[in-house]
Amino acid sequence: MDLFQLDKLEKLIVHDYKLLFTLSSYVLILAIYMNLSTFQFSVLGIVASLLYFLINGIFLGHAFFEKEEAFFRLMLGFLLLIMLLGFVGWFAVIIYNLDVVRFTLVLFVVATICSLINRKVKHKNAT
Amino acid sequence: MPLSKQALTKFLHISEILYLFLVLLLFYLLFLSRTGEARTVWEVLHPAFIPTLFIASSLLLTILFTSEKTAHKLLLIIAHSVLVHSLFSIIFPAGDLSGQQMVLGRIRLVYDNAVLHGWFPWTVETVPSLFYEWFKGQSFQAALSVVLSRMLSIDIFWVHLFLIPVLWGFFTPIAAFLVTKTLGGNDKAAVLSSLLLLVFPYLTYFGAISVPNSLGFIFLFYSVCFMLKNLDSNDYKNTLLMWSFSVLSFLSHSLTGIMSFSLLFLAMVYKSYRSEKGTSPATAKISLAISFLFCASLLPLSLVYLRFFAPVLYTFFTLDRFYTLPAEEIVGLFFLGELIYGFDLKTILLIMIGPLLALLYAIYLLYKFRRNPTAKYRAQISFLFVTYLIILIDYRILKLFMADLPFNEERLWVIDEFLASPFVALAIYSATSSLKKLLKTTSQQTMSIISRSSLSWRRVLRIGGLLFTLNILTPMILGGWISYSLHAAYPQVAPLQTIWYELEAVKYIEENTKEKYVVIGDVWTIYAGEVIVGVNNPRAYYFLEFDKTGHDLFVNMSRDPSSQWLLSALNRTNTSVAYFIITEPRLGTQEFDNILSKAMRAHLQTYVPPGGFGNGKLYVFRYDKAKTSRQENPLTETNTYARA
Repeated sequence: MDLFQLDKLEKLIVHDYKLLFTLSSYVLILAIYMNLSTFQFSVLGIVASLLYFLINGIFLGHAFFEKEEAFFRLMLGFLLLIMLLGFVGWFAVIIYNLDVVRFTLVLFVVATICSLINRKVKHKNAT
Repeated sequence: MPLSKQALTKFLHISEILYLFLVLLLFYLLFLSRTGEARTVWEVLHPAFIPTLFIASSLLLTILFTSEKTAHKLLLIIAHSVLVHSLFSIIFPAGDLSGQQMVLGRIRLVYDNAVLHGWFPWTVETVPSLFYEWFKGQSFQAALSVVLSRMLSIDIFWVHLFLIPVLWGFFTPIAAFLVTKTLGGNDKAAVLSSLLLLVFPYLTYFGAISVPNSLGFIFLFYSVCFMLKNLDSNDYKNTLLMWSFSVLSFLSHSLTGIMSFSLLFLAMVYKSYRSEKGTSPATAKISLAISFLFCASLLPLSLVYLRFFAPVLYTFFTLDRFYTLPAEEIVGLFFLGELIYGFDLKTILLIMIGPLLALLYAIYLLYKFRRNPTAKYRAQISFLFVTYLIILIDYRILKLFMADLPFNEERLWVIDEFLASPFVALAIYSATSSLKKLLKTTSQQTMSIISRSSLSWRRVLRIGGLLFTLNILTPMILGGWISYSLHAAYPQVAPLQTIWYELEAVKYIEENTKEKYVVIGDVWTIYAGEVIVGVNNPRAYYFLEFDKTGHDLFVNMSRDPSSQWLLSALNRTNTSVAYFIITEPRLGTQEFDNILSKAMRAHLQTYVPPGGFGNGKLYVFRYDKAKTSRQENPLTETNTYARA
């Protein structure tokens, strides 16, 4: 996957210097929320979601599939992220519902979990 | 030599570009085939689609046998896979009829925030029923679809329609790749198994419909993959992942969940068997045999006890089939299952050949390893073979000894086919490798052909035959298999799919009605309505598909179209406006005209936009509680069509 310079991008995101990418995730969540409650532009939603997926998918992929190739890390990271979104969303649905506010909370919880997992694995590898 | 390598790379890149062009062309052909009124995809599929698919598949197979990077090959396979699974979603206006539309009908309620205080809106009688509703699969898919839909700011209709084709297209080839790798296959055999998933008709069909069961299958495949990895490793991540995928598989659908957990249990027992067999072989073997029986019986027993959670389910063991069916039918059911009913020989062969080849090759591999218990990958191959046997046994139990199952037992074929794909790929790869070895032994003679040196005709034919088989015949046969399997995967016979003007009518009602309303229509109208507004939505009420009240109201309205039934519907659903929909292709011209003329005589108010729906093939009648007398509505025109 040298074609897309995925390795370099992955290193940069996983390093998460001063929580830059975690905070970026939160900004993206805010953008998705604003878009959903006001503009409702699909293009904006798709771009923000792709970036959200990229950051958090890389966090998860790197944490769980470090020994795999970059392509598999990315794809399996996406799959884990989809699972996590579905699971936390399911929890919200069975408790109350999944309106815009709760949906935003789901994104926030998932992004936080991904960031925490990434930090934990990073610290483990460092020691 | 470097020059020839460069030339090969250039040739490879040209092939890849050509392949991508063909895939784009295939998507374009699918869009050209898009129709508003058809029964099957075969009625409207562009005539150039299958030949182009055959060429694209053969070309892709040729690329797979080259030394191109695995990731690039998998990306091409993913494109192919998404294409093959998108036929329903692209060709029909609302995807495949019934199943996935029913699911969307319920997901709509979550999307429109019609569900409050937890899933599900109707009252739950007991605590076990509540658990059943939570874990029913629809809840998980609803959450996932709604989250993705809100993230992308795309209507849930489109997200739901393409959810499974895209997820399946992306992730099942990777699952097959990983499973084949754990069985000892190299990268080429593993990518071949990813593509060969497309030769299995049940896998293709379930990857094309957005139902919870399909989602469950994806997670089940990954849970099997990490079970295989876990057999040889003590990495906590593999354990965590196999458990996570099993739990998600259970949340998605009971069938895949129960199968996941039974295989998970077997994997754990098998792992402990391997560590214990050195010290106490007899005990380890007995415990393994008991576990095998337990795992094989877990699915049938669980289905019986599902009634504890959902009283409407009443699955039970029975010997009725043995008393009522002739012996030859029992034998047919045992070997071929549902295939004995109305399937032609070609379809049966298409469905059976893959799993049969896999079974034979798995037995061959186990036979090869019989004297070498420490052989690498033996444990994984044995485990997958045992898993395969469990599915075969469970299918026969469900088919012959059980009745009133909550799902069609043919769905077990999907798991069977997924487990078969690595073995089929390994078998084919092994055959082509043998041919390559044979060709290498004659490499000097091959060079002689190229340099036009003198060789006997017999040798020229032999080498030419080998080259032709390896480079042209094999990709063509496999490409043909993939293309032809679509005939068995997508139904040849089906009811009329949701028609474009049925969707137009329900959208028109939704957009132009401010009050709470109820719609009375046949089951096809309900399918159309639920993809737009959901079922049992208190604001826009469509009865459940098989609700007796809704059905009776429609039958009564058809016999005697009068306002009394519409008023009755309003009172039952606590709404203000009632609509009654009739569609000519569903009812037949005579019945349609008959109801229409009766409705006109009863002075029911028609509710149609200028030009009508489908050139007068669909009629909507409106009854407003507040305005009992007929009156003009600025949005509608009251028509007295010539036909009426």
